[in-house]
Amino acid sequence: MASDKELSDFLKSVEKRAFKRTVYAVRGDDAALDIVQDAMIRLSTKYADRPAAELPLLFQRILSNATMDWFRRQKVRNAVVQNLSDFEAGDDHESFDLLETVQALEDTLGTESAFDAVSRSEILHAIDAAVGALPARQREAFLLRYWEEFDVAETAAVMGCSEGSVKTHCSRAVFALAAALRAKGITP
Amino acid sequence: MSTTPPYHDTEALQARLALRLTAGLSERAASLPRDVSERLRVGREQAIARARHSRVAVPMLALAGSARTLPEGLVPWWQRMAAVLPLLVLVVGLLAINQWTEREQVLAAAEIDTVLLADDLPPAAYTDPGFAEFLKMAQP
Repeated sequence: MASDKELSDFLKSVEKRAFKRTVYAVRGDDAALDIVQDAMIRLSTKYADRPAAELPLLFQRILSNATMDWFRRQKVRNAVVQNLSDFEAGDDHESFDLLETVQALEDTLGTESAFDAVSRSEILHAIDAAVGALPARQREAFLLRYWEEFDVAETAAVMGCSEGSVKTHCSRAVFALAAALRAKGITP
Repeated sequence: MSTTPPYHDTEALQARLALRLTAGLSERAASLPRDVSERLRVGREQAIARARHSRVAVPMLALAGSARTLPEGLVPWWQRMAAVLPLLVLVVGLLAINQWTEREQVLAAAEIDTVLLADDLPPAAYTDPGFAEFLKMAQP
């Protein structure tokens, strides 16, 4: 059973990412705050007796369900279930595009010597906007897999899809983000 | 010369780029507006308070309702004893009251008998109508 401190530390570690994830989905700070708070309360009232190690997966599931509940209440569920083909890129990406984007990001964000506060802030804003513009399922897979650091199986469990779908969503999301950043001039 | 890396390198590049991007997201998320951070803190504290409350409430409910809700084999013996104990106390109390009342009645009867037998007047005199009339006339 997770103690109060373990529960508090876990929520503290995850609340900002949860908020951002929810903002991407619902496009509003107030609604996102309500959903995150609702998810935290659901976790603490129904699953407070679970071990601390189970909390991350449980919380992400609860957060996803709470977000879906919000969409149901808003009667705009169709906005979430978008036709992925509208946004999907083909499978014929040139991999060196990725390498160039990685190098550009590492040059700008990864080294203190090349630090430029203005351009750094602009790049962070561009990343934020690009993630926000991803199709919902791609964004969810990308954020769970790489931001929450879940493995493929855990991400699939939270999203309720196959592991193959998770890999596809993640791959397409990364290529879409690289393309979006290149379009904004973030190149070496 | 082609720069296209093999497939496994593409996966590694994807992961590398994804980690750089999420590092950027983390950096941006760390500088949320103060009011948002405060609302998240309040929400977290409310959730912890609810968790504390539910941890206290669940054992109390379990004690009160475990005999009804749990299968027989899962109820600990001391909980079954705890459920039966008030009934046992009630039965023992009623038996004790009954015993005490009977004893009081026996003692009262014995005292009356003792007084009657120890008196100079024989008990049969109290059933004699003439003696009863004498007692009435003797009263002022």
